[in-house]
Amino acid sequence: MNDLLLDISEVSKTFGRGGLLSRQKIAAVNQVSFQLAARRPEILAIIGESGSGKTTLARMILNIETPTSGKLVLDGIDLAAIRSSDARMAFMHKVQPIFQNPFESFNPLKRLDRYLFMTRRRFSRAAGEGAAETSVDDALQKVGLSLQEVRHRYPHELSGGQLQRVAIARALLAEPKLIVADEPVSMIDASLRISIVNLFKTLRDDLGISIIYVTHDLATAYYISDRIMIMQKGCVVESGDARTVLRAPQHPYTRQLREAVLLTEAADVAAGVSGMNDLTSPGAPERRA
Amino acid sequence: MAILLRDLLRHSPEFRIGAVLLAFVLLLSVLASFSPYPPESVYVVPPDVPPSLTYWFGTTSRGQDVFWQLSFAIRNTLLFGCTVALISRLFALVIGLISGYKGGWIDRALMSVNDTFIVIPLLPILVLFYFVMRDRISWLMLALIMACFGWAYDARLIRSVVMSLKAREFTQTSLFSGMSTRQILTEEHLPYVMPIVFSTTMNNMVWSIGLEVTLAVLGFTDINTPTIGGMIYWANQHTAMVAGIWWWIAFPTITVVMAFIGLFLLALSANAYIDPRSRLWSVGEAS
Amino acid sequence: MRANVQQPHAPQDAQPILWVRDLQAHYRTSHFGVRRGVKAVDGVSFAVRRGEIYGLAGESSSGKTTLIKSIAGAIRPPLEIVGGSVEFAFLPGYGGLHRAPPVDVARIRWRHLSYIMQGSMNVLNPVRRVESAFVDFAYPHIGGSRKQFEQQVVAHLARVRLDPSVLAAFPHELSGGMRQRATLALATICRPDFIIADEPTTALDVVVQKEVLGMIRSIQRETGSSVLFVTHDMGVHAHITDRLAIMYAGRLVEEAATAEIFRNPLHPYTRHLISSLPRIGDDTPREGLGGSPPNLADPPPGCRFHPRCPLATEICKREVPAMLEADTGHRVACFAVNQGARA
Repeated sequence: MNDLLLDISEVSKTFGRGGLLSRQKIAAVNQVSFQLAARRPEILAIIGESGSGKTTLARMILNIETPTSGKLVLDGIDLAAIRSSDARMAFMHKVQPIFQNPFESFNPLKRLDRYLFMTRRRFSRAAGEGAAETSVDDALQKVGLSLQEVRHRYPHELSGGQLQRVAIARALLAEPKLIVADEPVSMIDASLRISIVNLFKTLRDDLGISIIYVTHDLATAYYISDRIMIMQKGCVVESGDARTVLRAPQHPYTRQLREAVLLTEAADVAAGVSGMNDLTSPGAPERRA
Repeated sequence: MAILLRDLLRHSPEFRIGAVLLAFVLLLSVLASFSPYPPESVYVVPPDVPPSLTYWFGTTSRGQDVFWQLSFAIRNTLLFGCTVALISRLFALVIGLISGYKGGWIDRALMSVNDTFIVIPLLPILVLFYFVMRDRISWLMLALIMACFGWAYDARLIRSVVMSLKAREFTQTSLFSGMSTRQILTEEHLPYVMPIVFSTTMNNMVWSIGLEVTLAVLGFTDINTPTIGGMIYWANQHTAMVAGIWWWIAFPTITVVMAFIGLFLLALSANAYIDPRSRLWSVGEAS
Repeated sequence: MRANVQQPHAPQDAQPILWVRDLQAHYRTSHFGVRRGVKAVDGVSFAVRRGEIYGLAGESSSGKTTLIKSIAGAIRPPLEIVGGSVEFAFLPGYGGLHRAPPVDVARIRWRHLSYIMQGSMNVLNPVRRVESAFVDFAYPHIGGSRKQFEQQVVAHLARVRLDPSVLAAFPHELSGGMRQRATLALATICRPDFIIADEPTTALDVVVQKEVLGMIRSIQRETGSSVLFVTHDMGVHAHITDRLAIMYAGRLVEEAATAEIFRNPLHPYTRHLISSLPRIGDDTPREGLGGSPPNLADPPPGCRFHPRCPLATEICKREVPAMLEADTGHRVACFAVNQGARA
């Protein structure tokens, strides 16, 4: 038994940009290190704006992207050492992804249950064909759906919220220890969003799955995560307990993000309009970059 | 499949027209089996008879019945086009799918082969083959050679589609569902590539038939096997247009144009139908 | 003009500039012989007053985009206006931009009515310099010498804190925030009476978003324009709009002053929307709402929210609730709420 579920040490990823002659190196992720403990499941939020490298980091944890330098170890598996398809299967048995766009997460031309049964067949230890139906139905029940609702359905027949639930159910069928969710609710309708967010809490509390929650939304991160990590231009600028960091941010960038959150308390809404004028005080005009 | 055809026939005018045109052409080619004359025989009927009740499409200066000659010709020409299209689609699919999905050095290696085929000029090569092989060249060999040259553009096209499919999230979902590369390519990506395969089959057939006609008209093929190009070659040899024997050239031309338009319309309607979103709408299964 | 249509609440102090009356916009498609109608906007009435920012909130399939298209006159098949009217105070008598003569529409575009869209690339031509957009759209309305016009543009750019150098730039050379500020400047330079803002800040990062929202507000204050501000983001509505309408499945369900909606939401759907918003510093668990927004090709009868509504009764399944005034300036379409108000 490993003490660490995920051990990331000094991971960097640089992309080349430009033509053959004027090639620039851009560091999407720069010397990032963090760990997730194996015994205590938690939700870690990675927060950043576009270009902060949060998605690249998530893709490296999923082994979709290979780091330029540094080391990622997931539950004893060194990601750089995955060569054979058996090793890849063992890896995917431990970590599963949830993507941003539920309408893109499944092939629009294919039926949804296909992915569920495929995942069940490839990863689950429980045997038997009759058991497959039961365990797929079980997984769907855990996310508030049932096999009846999903069987023979195509992705366009379900709403975004339902699709995201199916995506989570599919991930659960692989019985993973870690789920990496990249902006899982940013494209979900407002009335369905909070249910999905709550579902992540349930996964952590009831199933003991750790979740890496990649987002730009501080409010949902505050709502569900135990720990947060703020990224700016590839670097982690602040990390720690979610409540501590968001209630009293230390780094100027975190503060800036914190202040940019649009308040929705009734009292603030009434006050907001008058408070707005401070923002528009004349400053130096911005030049072309 | 039967339901699919019924729906297409009922709801898509393009498919109806295309099917009717192609049915005519196919019927004509099937009739070749019932021809009273062997295709190679000459002077079996009186020469230069205009279309009449006895000789529907008239007769040639070589004493052949244009109708029966044409049925052999269109059969061979279609077979030729199908063979070239089938073999080259196979090449294009395998190379395009693997190159687009695998990327890296496999992609670079395959694409350099691919680009080599794109830049080699085809017509001089074919003419060269003809001069080396002379009478030993058969239409099957010609079809093979052309298939070797007919896949490169479409492999690139398929590769680019697969590259964009690979970047889509559902490819990752498939991967994390434990699918193998072969499964992802054949089950997830192939349906997106099929419309391209359909429409390029059409293009490829037009291209190969057109090139075959060109070569045949110039006399660079096995002119004893009747093909559309071969017929026009013989008509030219006998200066049919000058001599006023228009039916010798007109009927082969009309037939091949009908085949082209028919194929095109079928490809068009099939593409619209391949998308299940529209299919579900049409059949009313969507809830 | 139709007099029998119920007039939305209009205050004494400000005259409306836009009336939308019982608007019905449907998508009609015929695919492989099967006819389908999607009732994307189904009986929407409201009025936007002069000088206010009127917010419109709704989910992805609520029909808000269709409503915007109908108001902007961008009616192309399969979209059809089936009933009702849209009328601007500066272009009376036609009942919708799509019915007005193109000459009149061209005359009011940019001068009286302008747009800020989510993708600024729709307005800024990617292969031409930013300057050319100003010359093309604004110069015909402003007139005067080119020198004067340029001075005016530079002065206006300063309001959105952009340096004159952006005029010589191509759109792709600017950051997303700068581009959106440039489109904001473009949309406001003619001091239009009405601005349609469709998710103008959705693609922006949070810090930039707040800044751009502040600019929209300050320019709107200065020019006195009315803004129809459409976004799904309740935080943005809380921040910028004066009044707010909530749309659900092609109909309005609630409309009130924004602060009132946040303080005292009446419709069960709005209540859920407001109460489910996570807030920093608030650790109370939020309740999810079951079900999904309906498919507009086959919406439920009666109130379209009834399958998901905790307060639904028999009448909700049969009849469509009307938008009634529950309180001064607070309209809501819900049998449960309106009965309670009367009892």
